[in-house]
Amino acid sequence: MNAAIECWSIDHRFEGPTSEQAVLRDVSLTLGNGDTCVLLGPSGSGKTTLLSIMGCLLRPTAGDVLVAGQSLDWRDAAQLARMRRRQIGFIFQHARLLPFLTVSENVALAGENAGTPDVQKRVDALLARLDLSDAAEKRPGELSGGQRQRIAVARALVHAPAVVLADEPTASLDWDNGAIVVDLLLRHAKEAGAAVLTVTHDQRLIPRFQRAYTLDRGRLVNE
Amino acid sequence: MTKIAWRMLAFHPLRLAMTWAGLGFLLFLSQAQLGMLIGWCATCTAIIRHSGADLWVMAKGTCAFDYGGEIPLSTLYKSRSVPGVLRADPMMMTWNFWQSADGRRTSIELVGLDADAVGGPWNILCGAPDATHIDDGVIIDELYLAMLGVTGLGDEAELYGQRAVVRGICSGIRTLTASPFVFTSLSSARKFDTHYSADEITYVMIRCADLQSMEAVRTRLLNELVGVEVLTGTEFEWRTILYWMLETGLGMTVVLTAALGFAVSTLVGSQVLFAVTQENLANYATLSALGFTAWQHLKCIVCQALLLTLGGVLIALGLFQIAAGATARTPVPLEMTLNVQIMLLGLFLITGLAATAMSMRLVLGKKATDVFLG
Repeated sequence: MNAAIECWSIDHRFEGPTSEQAVLRDVSLTLGNGDTCVLLGPSGSGKTTLLSIMGCLLRPTAGDVLVAGQSLDWRDAAQLARMRRRQIGFIFQHARLLPFLTVSENVALAGENAGTPDVQKRVDALLARLDLSDAAEKRPGELSGGQRQRIAVARALVHAPAVVLADEPTASLDWDNGAIVVDLLLRHAKEAGAAVLTVTHDQRLIPRFQRAYTLDRGRLVNE
Repeated sequence: MTKIAWRMLAFHPLRLAMTWAGLGFLLFLSQAQLGMLIGWCATCTAIIRHSGADLWVMAKGTCAFDYGGEIPLSTLYKSRSVPGVLRADPMMMTWNFWQSADGRRTSIELVGLDADAVGGPWNILCGAPDATHIDDGVIIDELYLAMLGVTGLGDEAELYGQRAVVRGICSGIRTLTASPFVFTSLSSARKFDTHYSADEITYVMIRCADLQSMEAVRTRLLNELVGVEVLTGTEFEWRTILYWMLETGLGMTVVLTAALGFAVSTLVGSQVLFAVTQENLANYATLSALGFTAWQHLKCIVCQALLLTLGGVLIALGLFQIAAGATARTPVPLEMTLNVQIMLLGLFLITGLAATAMSMRLVLGKKATDVFLG
């Protein structure tokens, strides 16, 4: 059976003003279906860069990425978009909901774009599970930060992606709201067999995940 | 993407309304200027168009309908004998002074017609159609009644000391000059005029037996007649239009204002589209992360360009209809042809699409990884 996502010998360098700067060095990482991992590391250690590469948003300088067993062709923008649409769910630190759509439409958008059947039923079920049914017709601007982040989680899960990539999803939340978000992610990993990789600085979350990795000056260290 | 495009625009409803209103008014400005230009062109060529003549014989160097020179009356008879000429009718066109009962003098363009009144008024409101051939009878346009100091049928005036009686009132025959057209018979025109002799006229209006042979008829006429020009109706219209629009500078001003209005409206439209795109760059990055393709982004921006254009165009059309209705019975009517409307819309869309291309560059230049930034 294929892994949900595999990274092989990923190198990534950014061009600085005077010289190239290595951000990731020989990073290899495999997440199977249902795996839940946290990615730790100080600021600037390359966590977001690794998430961007795994999320088909950034082409690595060297190395391969396989999503659901399929190798990525970085020149094929349509394939990358298709992967993001169907296989990957993103949760960003700042929710990044579309302010001009309602909560329900924000969540449904990802499902509709991925061609998920019965999207509205899934949206309603997710919002009910997140205790956000009453907010379905509200705009993101009318909600609290915690509510917005929960909606971002719903949006990431609505199309039942094989991989969920979360960038500090609880950073702007209090402990209770953060716990709700993590519960949702772990529950989705268990029920849908999805791989979940979460970047976090919150040490209290580590025990809740199966594995923890640390990026140290661009190198991945298994903890 | 239509829904997203619309929601992005409508997120700030007041701004959208103001943009539509701005685009509508600016486009209306272009339309009104062009409408005025078209109205003027129609006005200065109305008699030529309504005469139904295929060819016009005139003195060499005639710059516009209003400034025809004298040609011998024999030109008329010679024209009638040219093979392919179905009929030939004379017209006299001269400048004169209308002195109303209260002594006020007004410059007029006096048009003398023969018995069939070819080239004469086509929209008689009251009086007999052959009113020009009743003694001293003249036909004037309703728009200029007050200007000429008369109120209706039977009122009298003097033309170089000769009595003229209003025996017909027509409608829609305007003039670009401040001198209204006054129609009368050839004989009365000669009586009222001091320049033309009894054997002179201004134009011969030719109707060809067969339109296919019009060029052959023209060649024959030119071979037969001396010191004249022979133009088709369309050529004469264009000569008249070009004289009034270019040589007098009247048209250039209007065209310049129309172009300016158009340029400003497209710039405003483009700027708004660009601003909306720029404002939503973060949202486009989010959409990219959700798997939306560049093609979908393009569709969204094109939709916005179309929605902005459509709103502006509808407002402009509404305003134009109101303005055209309000000016219909004035000396300066706003007119518009379907072709010009389509051309305006096409130009507006092209510039909208250029703005789309600029906006798209902005979106494509945005790094998708920016979704991870705060």
